[in-house]
Amino acid sequence: MINTIGRIDQMASSGGTPWHRASAIAKLLLAATLVTLAVASPSLTLLGVLWAGAWFLALTSRLPRALVLVAAGYPLVFSSLFVIGSWDGSWQTPARLLLRPLIASLTAVWLVGTTPYPDLFAPLSRALPRSVGDGLFLTYRALFDVMARAERLWRALRLRGGTSGPSRRRLTLAGEGLATLVLYGFERSQRQYSTMLLRGHSGRVCGCRHWAEWTREDGYVALAGAAVAAAATLLWRRA
Amino acid sequence: MSHLHIPDGVLPAWLWGGGLAFALVALWVSTRATRNESSRSVAWRGALGGLVLAAMAVELPLGPIEYHLSLVGPVGVLAGPAAAFQLVFVVSAILAFAGHGGFTVVGLNALVLGSGAVIARPTYSRLRMRFAPAAALALATGVSQGVSGLMWIAVVAVALRARPGAAGLGRVALLGGLALPLWLAGVLIECAVAFGLARFIARVRPDLLPTAAGIGALPADRGSASR
Repeated sequence: MINTIGRIDQMASSGGTPWHRASAIAKLLLAATLVTLAVASPSLTLLGVLWAGAWFLALTSRLPRALVLVAAGYPLVFSSLFVIGSWDGSWQTPARLLLRPLIASLTAVWLVGTTPYPDLFAPLSRALPRSVGDGLFLTYRALFDVMARAERLWRALRLRGGTSGPSRRRLTLAGEGLATLVLYGFERSQRQYSTMLLRGHSGRVCGCRHWAEWTREDGYVALAGAAVAAAATLLWRRA
Repeated sequence: MSHLHIPDGVLPAWLWGGGLAFALVALWVSTRATRNESSRSVAWRGALGGLVLAAMAVELPLGPIEYHLSLVGPVGVLAGPAAAFQLVFVVSAILAFAGHGGFTVVGLNALVLGSGAVIARPTYSRLRMRFAPAAALALATGVSQGVSGLMWIAVVAVALRARPGAAGLGRVALLGGLALPLWLAGVLIECAVAFGLARFIARVRPDLLPTAAGIGALPADRGSASR
């Protein structure tokens, strides 16, 4: 999972497509529209069109095909539980239950693959309480650091025989290993707080302001939004 | 079993909408409870959130299955109830962006994980009066993991029953029958890991663990023992 987040994070910051240059707020609005329509639409035809649209967005953002395929296929596993659970003998219900998550997951991979995390979290942090908004930034920053340490820790555990023996011993050792990460996390948070104070921390972690700066490339996002709105208007009542 | 992997569009709107609304109310209540905390506590919470996400990514090989830890119990004990709920909300939001569960399920995910995290410290404080830190944290983790697991099963069962053409009771019971052994295994695994975690912390930095009176580690947290 972390490798996936890391790869997406890198591509979001280094990509050069028009989607990458478009503002975060425009992409967030388009993504919210697509997910809302996917969740609410009763029309299979509209869902099919939205699915094609989501594929278009994901593929034109030049994300690795393997990543897009994983994102497209991941919800299938969990949707299948609900397909089996609510099987009514028709093909329409399973089709709806499969298309909706696929549209949402492809839209999500397009959004996070073309938008750096400070731009993505900045508008969300303004809508959330201060401590939660700050927590979003600080958790994401801590994630890669803690994960790199965790990987070294598991490697050391394997090399020193920490993964052999009875389960109880292995799990207790894993817990002791995680405790070293807790201690590291504590020390890290103290250093981070001192650094924040040195840099003039005003009591709130501010995301960058680029997220709301409209660019010429927002025209493409608006065009996609108009196409989605037109499809929704025309096809909402179609079967 | 650590969180809901349910994608967008398969749960009825009243369920995810209600879950999101309830989670936002709980979030507001928790921020009121922690309004006097300094940014130092938020930085500590961020580190714990990163640890939860890192633990969820690690696969513990256990025979034919691989288990992903959630650490809701230990994190609930270390952060305290109100801060722990905020932490799991942030973790759920980041998981949604990573494609693990849909955006609409963030509220339900926060409630599933948060229900366990919130009760962890009060349970630990009570148990700490009778047991050593390692045993108390292991038992508190068992309780919090049990509550989270029950919430998980309840949400999935309600979702299956609430759909048009819903599953019969037989199929829901089958789901429960399949989930129960996994849930029990999860509780035992989390308990064993929490035991090792607390044993190490109690030796090296005992001040990080709350006391029997529920008082936490950070100076900002000391005034919020009852929260």
